Amino acid sequence: MRLKSYLALLPVLALGACSSGDYRLFHPANLIAAQEWHATIVDTVVMLLIILPVLFMIALFAWRYRKGANAAHDPEWSHNTLLELLVWGVPFLVVAALGIYSIKTIYAVEPYNPGLFQKQVAADPQSVVNVDVIATDWQWVFVYPDQKIATIDDLVVPKGSVVKLHLTSTSVSNDIYVPQLLPMIAVMPGMRTIDTFDTPDVGSYTGFGADFSGAGFSWMQFATKIVTPAQFQDWVQKVASSPNELSYAAFQKVAQPQVNMGAKISYFSNPDPQLFHKVIAAAQAGVVYPVSDALTKSIASDEK
Amino acid sequence: MHLQFPGPWSPLLGRLTLNAIPYTNPILQGTFVGAAVIALLVVGSVLYFKKVGYFWREWLTSVDHKKIGVMYIVIGLVMLFRGFVDGLMMRTQQVMANGPHASGVLGSMHGFLPPYHFDQVYSAHGTIMILFAATPILTGFQNIVVPLQIGARDMAFPYMNALSLWLTTAGAVLVMISLFVGDFSAAGWVGLIPLTELPYSPGVGVDYWMWAIQISSIGTTLNAINMIVTIVKMRAPGMTWFRLPIFSWTTLSTNIIGLTAFPVLGVALALLGADRYLGTHFFTAGMGGNLMLYTNLFWIWGHPEVYFLILPVFGILSEVVPTFCEKPLFGYVTMVAATFAIAGVSWLVWLHHFFTMGAGPDINGFFSIATMLVGIPTGVKVFNWAFTMYRARITYTVPMMWAMFGLFLLLAGGLTGMMLAIPAVNYTVHDSVFVIAHFHCMVLLVVAAAFAGVTYWFPKLFGFKLSEAWGKVFFWLFSSGTVVVFAAMFALGFQGETRRLDWTYNTAWMPMLLVEEFGMLLYCLSLAAFAIMLVVSIRDRAKNRAGADPWGTSRTLEWLTPSPVPFYNFAMTPQVNTRDELAWRRKHGLENAKPDHYEAIHMPSNSGLPVIIGGLSAVWGFAMIWRIWWLAAISILAIIVCVIIRSFDKNEGYHLQPGEIEAMERDLATGMITSEQPDRSHNNAIHAEAH
Repeated sequence: MRLKSYLALLPVLALGACSSGDYRLFHPANLIAAQEWHATIVDTVVMLLIILPVLFMIALFAWRYRKGANAAHDPEWSHNTLLELLVWGVPFLVVAALGIYSIKTIYAVEPYNPGLFQKQVAADPQSVVNVDVIATDWQWVFVYPDQKIATIDDLVVPKGSVVKLHLTSTSVSNDIYVPQLLPMIAVMPGMRTIDTFDTPDVGSYTGFGADFSGAGFSWMQFATKIVTPAQFQDWVQKVASSPNELSYAAFQKVAQPQVNMGAKISYFSNPDPQLFHKVIAAAQAGVVYPVSDALTKSIASDEK
Repeated sequence: MHLQFPGPWSPLLGRLTLNAIPYTNPILQGTFVGAAVIALLVVGSVLYFKKVGYFWREWLTSVDHKKIGVMYIVIGLVMLFRGFVDGLMMRTQQVMANGPHASGVLGSMHGFLPPYHFDQVYSAHGTIMILFAATPILTGFQNIVVPLQIGARDMAFPYMNALSLWLTTAGAVLVMISLFVGDFSAAGWVGLIPLTELPYSPGVGVDYWMWAIQISSIGTTLNAINMIVTIVKMRAPGMTWFRLPIFSWTTLSTNIIGLTAFPVLGVALALLGADRYLGTHFFTAGMGGNLMLYTNLFWIWGHPEVYFLILPVFGILSEVVPTFCEKPLFGYVTMVAATFAIAGVSWLVWLHHFFTMGAGPDINGFFSIATMLVGIPTGVKVFNWAFTMYRARITYTVPMMWAMFGLFLLLAGGLTGMMLAIPAVNYTVHDSVFVIAHFHCMVLLVVAAAFAGVTYWFPKLFGFKLSEAWGKVFFWLFSSGTVVVFAAMFALGFQGETRRLDWTYNTAWMPMLLVEEFGMLLYCLSLAAFAIMLVVSIRDRAKNRAGADPWGTSRTLEWLTPSPVPFYNFAMTPQVNTRDELAWRRKHGLENAKPDHYEAIHMPSNSGLPVIIGGLSAVWGFAMIWRIWWLAAISILAIIVCVIIRSFDKNEGYHLQPGEIEAMERDLATGMITSEQPDRSHNNAIHAEAH
């Protein structure tokens, strides 16, 4: 009885989910997110194939063998070799099937070099756009080494490309995430990780830090835009004309702990060509950007 | 000795200044007044009714496994309440602080908690719920039930048992003190690294978190040793391994995990402590440190810890379901095998907590498969419980309802757990609230089993049943609250909400955040129902008197003893003839058979040292947190002196003479309660009694 009423909740949720664009994971915007969403569905369906009958069985037994129902009662029955083989065998088969599927999909969506794009990248190496991403407390710095520009909290990429993000952090660990587009990957100081995504259509998204990084963490959003190649060129021109240059000294000011309320965008021209490597080397050499006690305590409570 | 940390330091008070007391914070003012009133009521009534001596003799210095178990559970329930209030604050903050135009009160920009306060609240919530609520409650059940189930007089090491309890309590006390003196950690219950390092967490919060866990986990490790030895060495005659009740089996497996896993946590925290106190670089990003080393070490403890919690829960379900099905558990041998399979695999899966670390597909693939393997023995267990219900005669008492709800949570948690075990899926939900909803299915399974256990074993300890009617009201409110909150949280995960947000910037989340808040209301109501259940049950206790077997269909040895259990457990050590001994005796009409003679029982003497050592540990932790070196030195010296005193203590307990036992058993038969020990001074100790 009780189980049934809970079960009734699930389809209602699912229905509500399908009809609304708010359920961003249900609406993947590129190949990699689609593959991951597909894996979610496959896994759920396979698991439900075993869980639903078990739920049904439990509900049936719970109802049928309740005290007072005068159903058959066998107070000794507690062993059946065939059944016990089955209770090990059925979960084993499900796990075997999902395990094989899991391994296959790992290679397809492997963040460093997804199997999904290997052909495209081999055929057209020019379609790869490299972006160096540096997480600070508490902003995102995007450096385009080939375009010689940099931004704060603004990730703009051309349609039809494969975007390769090289990620590190100045201070603490974080996790980068753009639902519908970019799978999560850890961002760690003194280390470099890579995350890859494709851009089949133009669109606007919001990305953010997903792993807690201190008091300003909730404000770590960044705009993510996929634009046409022509628009991308225009945008690069615009950023490149910024009078602000991102030398290492200028970067060190940006990297001081600060909350960027409303994720305001800044543009820089001529970033230090070695900036990304300098940040990693500095972190490895023990450079930290300490967060003062006063800053963590007063953030957002004193500022307006 | 002194690293760079902000703020003053004095030799006398260390980092402690008047500013450390947050007397300007209205939330904490209210909490303080509430806590002070409750403390005054408790202390005042103890003084008024002149019960100080009673509490000292019968509880604080007790080495009786049942009383220690009760104290574990009481501490766990108090901390469960504290953790719940933290959860309520988090849910309320996220509803209030939704969208860019959300207003703020009490000096916050959004909602009612500034980020720094919110971060402490969620860090405290996780730390408390896992280590100071779930762990003590389950340890309490193991303490109470296992010796009774295996026909033992007590634990193998009663003194060490008391010490374990008071070390755990010392940790809990430090967590509570952090409310009113200084701050708690704002870096998550897992201690996100390198956020916990001095440059990013310069306050005392991380130190509170670190020392509280460190001290209590020593208690947990000692308890694990005690449990293992008790089960291996102290089973009653005839209790062969394959007659051991499932709850004792799960206790054995879980404590093997505890004994092997908790030292890893201790080492990880000690190295972090070295970083924070001595300026080493074990886990810093630079100077040769490796922050992922901490993450690995933490989860090498952290994942086994999950099974450390869940295995005894499976044990409780395996006791409750057969009792109310009036049938033996289906597939006893496979159940034992499944238990140890889960315990074994628990060591091989820790990396699934950070699939997004950037490890290659081969490593992630290995841990994906290993994680899924857990699903096989867990599936076996679900099937076994289901088949236990086949051709059963099921009574839907409160414990059985909790068990059924636990099964439902296990299936929901299992479904979503298998999703998270696939890295391709994990990459999209890893740090989202989907994960939170998943593991809350599992930890609320722990809570469901805990309440099943509380209602199931309560009459055994206190001699009367809890109110069934209010128990059901409590059950329905709590379980519907759980479904509402966490169904909505799964939905929010699919909407892309990530964890630990003090400001929920996306207005599209509002409907589901409101649904969650409604679920929290149900939880609040359930809390009232729980309180009423206790009051009504105590009021009507004469009506609900429980005999040896209040449920009438129990199957294991603990139900052979009178309720409440006399302090010596069994008047005569029982001879075990089969699995499900009590069911067998009932079938043969032997459940009320009395022994024809009594033999002297060797009992341990009470000792005040464990509670003193526990208190000194709390003082030492406090001194370390605030860097008051003289106090730390004195308290650690005092602990060492206590240990030396104990090692010269020649008191090896006393013998309960057959005549005394016979008299007490006669009293029991006429309904008197014999849970208090006769007063014995040290003169009566064993060596003096030899005459």
